[in-house]
Amino acid sequence: MGLLSLLRKFQKEADREVRILLLGLDNAGKTTILKALADEDITHIMPTQGFNIKSVATTGFKLNVWDIGGQKKIRPYWKNYFENTDVLIYVIDSTDKKRFDETGVELLELLEEEKLSKVPVLIYANKQDLLKSVKPSEIATALQLSSAIRDRQWQIQACSALTKEGIKDGMEWVYSSLGAQKKK
Amino acid sequence: MGTAQKKTLGFKLNWMNLRDAESGKVLWQGDDDLTLSHKEHEARVPKKILKCRSVSREINFSSEQEMKRFRLEQRVFLNSEILEEWFFEFGYVIPGSTNTWQNLIEAAAANQMIPPSLLSGNVVIETAFYDGNEEVSRSKVRLYYV
Repeated sequence: MGLLSLLRKFQKEADREVRILLLGLDNAGKTTILKALADEDITHIMPTQGFNIKSVATTGFKLNVWDIGGQKKIRPYWKNYFENTDVLIYVIDSTDKKRFDETGVELLELLEEEKLSKVPVLIYANKQDLLKSVKPSEIATALQLSSAIRDRQWQIQACSALTKEGIKDGMEWVYSSLGAQKKK
Repeated sequence: MGTAQKKTLGFKLNWMNLRDAESGKVLWQGDDDLTLSHKEHEARVPKKILKCRSVSREINFSSEQEMKRFRLEQRVFLNSEILEEWFFEFGYVIPGSTNTWQNLIEAAAANQMIPPSLLSGNVVIETAFYDGNEEVSRSKVRLYYV
């Protein structure tokens, strides 16, 4: 499911604006996922030195996906983009075991942010196409996600932005979590 | 130098492209420094873009200065009439950053009914950037369908 098909699902509910925030460490694959969602070429992606936004608009409905650079020097600016977020997508490089601690710390800090409180979080365990990748269940254990995330809906999804496997399932979850929010 | 002037000088519209949003393929990309305002830029776009069910317009820009209320107004004109109008609030812009904004649009039925020969050379995309109410940059691209 790409962004356009996600939008077409939403079209029935007019007058809504949805903001999805894509965060994670540098080299996790945030921009590649964003481009994969729109079926774009992913062979020449450079480290993001700011943000990349995809806006999909139709009469009365807007979907905005914000991908913010994950380099250490950019992370202090993340907080400027929290406001009005409907779903947080946090991307982890499943092969980068050395940085599981670092990515876990960043994620926990995000979960403590007031502006992101109760915002559903989808964790993409990216790069599952690579042999040395760690399974999502093991990442969830290593990062102690089930004890860390208690105040919101969350999901960890295996994916590969390269082969697109799992991307669609993640977006289906995003769609369903938005539906659940609305009913509240 | 005033802060407004500093923002203008530190701002650069690096490139702009048009894609078939269904396939994600780039149909046109312009790498001119589009920030050179008051100059109208030209784009020769393959005619088949008019048959696309959805298209995307993507822009890439850099800013040396931090901006807090950054926003854009994009208008598509046919002759002097507004065909489409888009407003987007970016809010915060990181100092020294390079950013992209892509707008995916479902083609309007009316748009498809206008023959390319009437559109070619008569369609202008005007993009204006502001920080709050202060204009940072403005650029115009005239489209030729070839």
